Amino acid sequence: MNEWLVAATVLLGLLVVCLAVCVAARAFDALVALEVSSSILAAVLLLLAEGFHRQPFVDLALIFAVLSFAGSLTFARLLERRL
Amino acid sequence: MSARSIAVAVLLVAGVGLQALSCLGIAVMRDTLDRLHYVGPASFGVLLVAVAIVVQESFSLIGDKALATAAVLLVTGPVLAHVTARSIRLHRQGDWRIGRDEDVEVEG
Repeated sequence: MNEWLVAATVLLGLLVVCLAVCVAARAFDALVALEVSSSILAAVLLLLAEGFHRQPFVDLALIFAVLSFAGSLTFARLLERRL
Repeated sequence: MSARSIAVAVLLVAGVGLQALSCLGIAVMRDTLDRLHYVGPASFGVLLVAVAIVVQESFSLIGDKALATAAVLLVTGPVLAHVTARSIRLHRQGDWRIGRDEDVEVEG
């Protein structure tokens, strides 16, 4: 296990904290936790790509970064309408 | 241990540490707007990880794409924070503009 995979494992542990906030807190708090967890997950994918020397994981991180932006914007737009 | 591996280790620890602090802020803070402040530092954590990859691999395809990912997150992070704050205000107040009865200090 190299240093990249160790860092990815630590970040995956942090994702559990964000998931707990998503489950336990109110909707807007969950949205903020989702935004932070998107950044963490992108970093995890980058670290896995470097750790395993698999280049497609970097493409996945790039696509995920763009799509998570669109997803968070959609959630923010939906939540402001007092559903 | 070469200077490159030391630089990579420092950048990795800094990046992971920054994201750990962001995660801690999300978990500890009480109000949603307080939590929102921690969206930005998480993006900088990704930038530090991407720079670590570039230091390791130089400007190869994987390094360039890692920097592109960090750039996307750095640009979209503040936009997301602003949109979320606006959405929270709309949800709470019904309008994002300053109301007549609100006491807001304006500089200048």
